[in-house]
Amino acid sequence: MKAAPFAYHRPRSLAEALDLMAEHGEEGKALAGGQSLVPLMVLRLAQPAVLVDLADVPELQHRDGTRIGAMVTNAALERDGSGLPPVVAAALPHIGHFQIRNRGTIGGSLAHLDPAAEWPALALLLEARLTLRSRDRSERTLGAEEFMLGPLTTALAADELLTAVTFPEWPSGGRWGFAEVARRPGDFALAGAACTVVGGRRRVVVFATGALPQRVEDPSEIEATGDLHAPAAYRAAVATRLVERVLIQAGEQP
Amino acid sequence: MTLADFLRDRLRLTGTHLGCEHGVCGACTVLLDGEAVRSCLIFAVQAAGHQVRTVEGLAKGGEPSPLQRAFLKHRALQCGFCTPGFLTTAQALLDRGLPLDRANLPELLAGNICRCTGYQPIVEAILEVASTR
Ligand SMILES: Cc1cc2nc3c(=O)[nH]c(=O)nc-3n(C[C@H](O)[C@H](O)[C@H](O)COP(=O)(O)OP(=O)(O)OC[C@H]3O[C@@H](n4cnc5c(N)ncnc54)[C@H](O)[C@@H]3O)c2cc1C
Ligand code: FES
Ligand code: FES
Repeated sequence: MKAAPFAYHRPRSLAEALDLMAEHGEEGKALAGGQSLVPLMVLRLAQPAVLVDLADVPELQHRDGTRIGAMVTNAALERDGSGLPPVVAAALPHIGHFQIRNRGTIGGSLAHLDPAAEWPALALLLEARLTLRSRDRSERTLGAEEFMLGPLTTALAADELLTAVTFPEWPSGGRWGFAEVARRPGDFALAGAACTVVGGRRRVVVFATGALPQRVEDPSEIEATGDLHAPAAYRAAVATRLVERVLIQAGEQP
Repeated sequence: MTLADFLRDRLRLTGTHLGCEHGVCGACTVLLDGEAVRSCLIFAVQAAGHQVRTVEGLAKGGEPSPLQRAFLKHRALQCGFCTPGFLTTAQALLDRGLPLDRANLPELLAGNICRCTGYQPIVEAILEVASTR
């Protein structure tokens, strides 16, 4: 349970961080809150030779309205969620325990892409735009669907950093719902659902059910998989009820 | 090397305990710039330039803190393995000045596991300190 040795850098600017990512390529890894990467390293499931700690990169630390820098912590957004879609505030307390939220970041969660995580589901639900930067190529902005390739697999290249996540402005009169089932508060969800209803347009996402958060028009489309925490049939059944629940929260007829 | 290992093995501050070493049990909780965090999920080098307060830093002048005295009074520990994590977590909650009550404390303490006490005496001890401020 001890990490393999690694070199450590704590760059002071985005340019310096991108240089280090370009220089070390597949050998290097960004370190954000460390709440997923450090456990992987102490279990030696990940053994990066070089860590690029983003803690002191000023360009990544701030939120400007609905544009959230990758290093903004869940705790900071929980303290001040003003101007963000209200479904975000409803989801945040479910992301681990408060001690985990003190360190965990929005960028780290999306780059890690656990199928049971809340941020990827929110990004898909709210049609977030993700900004990716590297030293040697031009900046690109991807939609959630383009960014999320599979469980723990994103469109990020080895030399690329996720720099910001931008949510559309939340319209007044927009309605929403969020619900998840976990064994204990702070545990990863066994199944979750969220919805928005904006201008009569309904959008429903389920998460923690399969490989990635999934947009569904109807609960019959839910593609659930089983693991040691819950069998597929359980996940599908619970997610189906959660879809009904979030639609009712949003004032819809499920 | 994690912050927890650095505290325990290099600085010989063995008050910080290690249970799971992957973020689940809370025994290793310390205060980093005043915020409760898992010292098993931070590399020691990340704490450079920051203030770390461990359970050893709660007592003042060899006298137990009000929170530590309340834990004693309410028998909020048995084997004591989880205690440093509960003390640091509770100290962070008290320092934040949030209203604490029987309704919200169980969830705020959900990130710390105790196999002995059944949690009730821990809740009582924290509420007693919270009520005196
Ligand atoms: C006990 C426990 C319970 C948890 N429960 C939940 C939960 O219920 N829901 C949930 O969503 N999460 C949960 N988590 C995970 C937690 O939210 C993590 O913080 C999060 O998934 C990763 O964010 P991080 O900032 O810690 O990233 P890190 O762990 O630092 O990094 C994760 C990965 O992303 C990469 N990365 C980070 N930032 C960038 C960037 N800007 N650009 C490119 N790559 C980057 C890293 O290289 C690494 O591969 C839990 C964690 C623990 C320990
Ligand atoms: S030892 Fe750090 S949380 Fe269990
Ligand atoms: S007192 Fe033994 S684990 Fe809590």
